[in-house]
Amino acid sequence: MTNGSPSERAISPGKSGQSTAVRVRDVTMDFGNGALAVSNASFELETGKFLTILGPSGSGKTTLLRMIAGFETPTSGEITVNGKPVDSAPPHRRSIGMVFQKLALFPHMTAAENIAFPLKMRRFNPKTIPRRVDEFLDLVKLGGYGNRRINELSGGQQQRVAIARALVFKPELLLLDEPLAALDVKLREEMQLEFRRIQHELGVTTINVTHDQREALVVSDDIIVMDGGRIQQHAKPVDLYRAPDNAFVAGFLGVASFINGHAVPGGLTSGENFLSGTHAGNFADGTAVRGAVRAEQIRIAAESGQLAACDTRLTGTVRDTIFEGERQLYVVATDELPGITFRVYHHDPESFGLFEIGTRVMIGWNARDMKIFEFRAS
Amino acid sequence: MISRSQRVIFWCLVWFCIVILSVPTIIVVGASLTGGNIITFPPDGFSLKWYRQIALARDLQQAFSRSIIVSLICLAVSLPVGTLAGIALTRFRLRFANAIQIYLLLPFTIPLIGSGIGMMLVFGSWHILGNIWPVGVALAVINLPFIIWSVSSSAAALDSDLELAAASCGAGRFETFLHVTLPGVMPGVITGGLLMFVLAMTEFLVSLLLTDARTVTLPVQIYNNIRSIITPDLAAVSSVFVLIALLAVWLLDRLVGLEIFLKSK
Repeated sequence: MTNGSPSERAISPGKSGQSTAVRVRDVTMDFGNGALAVSNASFELETGKFLTILGPSGSGKTTLLRMIAGFETPTSGEITVNGKPVDSAPPHRRSIGMVFQKLALFPHMTAAENIAFPLKMRRFNPKTIPRRVDEFLDLVKLGGYGNRRINELSGGQQQRVAIARALVFKPELLLLDEPLAALDVKLREEMQLEFRRIQHELGVTTINVTHDQREALVVSDDIIVMDGGRIQQHAKPVDLYRAPDNAFVAGFLGVASFINGHAVPGGLTSGENFLSGTHAGNFADGTAVRGAVRAEQIRIAAESGQLAACDTRLTGTVRDTIFEGERQLYVVATDELPGITFRVYHHDPESFGLFEIGTRVMIGWNARDMKIFEFRAS
Repeated sequence: MISRSQRVIFWCLVWFCIVILSVPTIIVVGASLTGGNIITFPPDGFSLKWYRQIALARDLQQAFSRSIIVSLICLAVSLPVGTLAGIALTRFRLRFANAIQIYLLLPFTIPLIGSGIGMMLVFGSWHILGNIWPVGVALAVINLPFIIWSVSSSAAALDSDLELAAASCGAGRFETFLHVTLPGVMPGVITGGLLMFVLAMTEFLVSLLLTDARTVTLPVQIYNNIRSIITPDLAAVSSVFVLIALLAVWLLDRLVGLEIFLKSK
């Protein structure tokens, strides 16, 4: 490039770790079927970071990813990758590697041929190709499997071939379109850590799309939560979990119980009851609000004395109890708030199974444990 | 659980079908091995003399090689057309895809005698009757739906993101077709191709209308012979046909596996 402007050169890859790799500005996608698939999405991603777009199916996350890949053109808005509009080159001229949901490996080629394909198409020196392929087979821990046909490999191994094929030509950007969705839990967790390791090793800027909140929390530097075509929140995993911006995010990550009510200083009122909580924003008294308490932030005890430290206390009955291995989940219905069932985690293995169905219990929390959001009908 | 009576009925049906389907073949092959001079079953003694006879019969030999040429021309026309049409109909979002599909499958709905007479008139007015190649082209046209079906069922089984994956690997449209799409539908192409070849080898009605004494193909030649006198050499020719068909099926099994063929629409 001889005609690159100074501003373009400043954000070229490799110059600094702080440059912007992907910039999405006011992107909207209208498929013409009523609702907008993506509505006014804007975000930036630093070079070398791992971003996950998290949302339920139909939230627009895959559409957003496909627009970044350049497979779909936004109705309005602009997407740039390393300063260049993504549609300034046809798909095969872009430096974007992609792992597809169903992997889309070439079934008539061996693992090594699949990985060599991008190198051949991108006119790498033929003499260097075999060594590079071996290098990437090793990177994804498939050394010695190069001659296997795709259908001779297990799901996890196919996964690894797809990653190697997407990365072997050193793309500026790696896109992952829910590639782990089809794997069983054990393998999925293993591959999540693999993604993270490989991404750290190569330092490639990555955007991952998933509906699996655990995966998002485990692998990402940054998470964008989407719902109904809109970006709900963009934050680091810890901040997202600890300080959700709205009730949707609070409900989507982790397990929470919700109480609708009206804002009062230091909490909310629901019917006759005052419940302590923290307002997320400045609400006038009487604003319709929705409080969210996470299952692990509610304490449970046999009698009120053991919950002396809690500033909100409710009495109730255990409706169900589920043993999940590392914790016990209690479903509790309270006398004060009929119609709401609270989900409560109990993490002390010594007292697992303490309360049986039908037992009278107390639950409680402190003001900092319940986040209170403005109520949005949805 | 399958009861005893169900099992009995099931196996009766299976054997009934096997017998019905194979009896003509067994009779023809048996009759071709007769030592006598009239076509009978069971054969009158055992001899390969009728095979010797057809190997020496010039008219049958010429008709056979013409049939091979016709089948190859049919392949040369239908392979590219059928492959591209089959891929296009399944892999691309085409405008009027349904209308195009119906148009391409139209030959199926027209009685062969109708399309045969139609082509006879058209070829006649173009003054190309009397050549061998128009027969091949005609057979490609009437059997085209077979290869289109075979290729499009192969294409439909491919991952829908395959072409996008190739593009993200850096392959242009032509490279994608050559390295990814075409190898992906190859089982369908081979299946369809063998089917077209066998169908063209054995096609009778349209061939009858489009050939004359100079261009007669094997099935038509057999028909001509039957009209004069029925001798066991015709049974021998028919047995050779059966052999060719078996060969095609064996080839199919070796190249793509029979289960793929049986699964195609």
